[in-house]
Amino acid sequence: MTVVPAQQGRGGGGTSGLYDVLELVLDRGLVIDAFVRVSLVGIEILKIDIRVVVASVDTYLRFAEACNRLDLEAGPNRSPGLPEIVGDMTESGARGKTKGALSGAAQTVSDAFQQARDEGGSRSEAKPRTRRTASNRRKEEQE
Amino acid sequence: MSTYVYGIAHRSHPRPDTELAGVGDPPRPVRTLAEGELIALVSDAPEDLRPKRRDLLAHQRVLTHAAAGGPVLPMRFGGVSPDDASVKSVLADRAEHFEERLTALHDKVEYNVKASHDEDVVLHQVLADNAELRALTEANRAAGGGTYEQKIQLGERIVAAVQQRETRDAELVHDTLMGIAAAVSRGPASTGWLVSVSCLVARADTARFLAAVDRLTKENPQLEVRLSDPLPPYSFVE
Repeated sequence: MTVVPAQQGRGGGGTSGLYDVLELVLDRGLVIDAFVRVSLVGIEILKIDIRVVVASVDTYLRFAEACNRLDLEAGPNRSPGLPEIVGDMTESGARGKTKGALSGAAQTVSDAFQQARDEGGSRSEAKPRTRRTASNRRKEEQE
Repeated sequence: MSTYVYGIAHRSHPRPDTELAGVGDPPRPVRTLAEGELIALVSDAPEDLRPKRRDLLAHQRVLTHAAAGGPVLPMRFGGVSPDDASVKSVLADRAEHFEERLTALHDKVEYNVKASHDEDVVLHQVLADNAELRALTEANRAAGGGTYEQKIQLGERIVAAVQQRETRDAELVHDTLMGIAAAVSRGPASTGWLVSVSCLVARADTARFLAAVDRLTKENPQLEVRLSDPLPPYSFVE
């Protein structure tokens, strides 16, 4: 056994950073009454319950717009009904029906994206797309 | 001089070839205190110990290394004993309990699994499953996005549907893993995941467990699953 520097991860393809094990190191593990525990002031702030935040008007608006965006990206002339997409994917036969529907939709989304971009982005989806990028960036920052 | 305690192991636990670096700056060297059939992994406690990134990682690292050599009962971060003698007396007083736990955790590791939703995929699923929501979305879209009221009304129902799926998928992840793990322990609800499950997995079952996690991800494209490295059994010491 050797000493591993703090900043170096261990091999083996795992992905756990400190963030993912923080709740275990701080909240689980053996506690012995006779020992004093270090004060965790400044750490508790990480444990905010998201469910309180979810039920807000902002969230409703965001999800409504996200859904509008999904349909926009599927193409204005195309029915968003899933059967058609499922049919396409079943023909290609690569994956199961449900998954096929989803990857099919995802493919349609990226096709529509490309199309919109080629057309110079003059249509109304320009705005939602900006939102999407911003929300993705937020997600990345949280990780 | 107070003593920082990392974990408890059998007396027969192999000692590391090289000295492990513990908490503090500079890092205090990790040493062992023996009492009866047990040892405690300890170091001197720095005066101003705080839950800093460096020290949290040091705690985690010492335990991960120790656990590679055999079962260890990990302490929660930040346990400080007044002195070495007090650590030994705790080992003596609770020897039976510690030994029972060490036996139970022999050749087992903890994996923490956190799942969250891929938002786009979930929204697709929600709309695919609910013709009414699909029609509502269509109507709003046709009206150039809909009025403020319409958007809120639609959004509220979408959020409810997404939350329903969060609950359902949390159960799915929990139940799937429970079928393979020796024990599971559900973590707190928090930002960044819809479920966090710690699983106690026998080393012999590791491949089967990892395959199950993999299958879970493949069969449920709406799930983004984060799997930890093998961890000391933090959630199964009590």
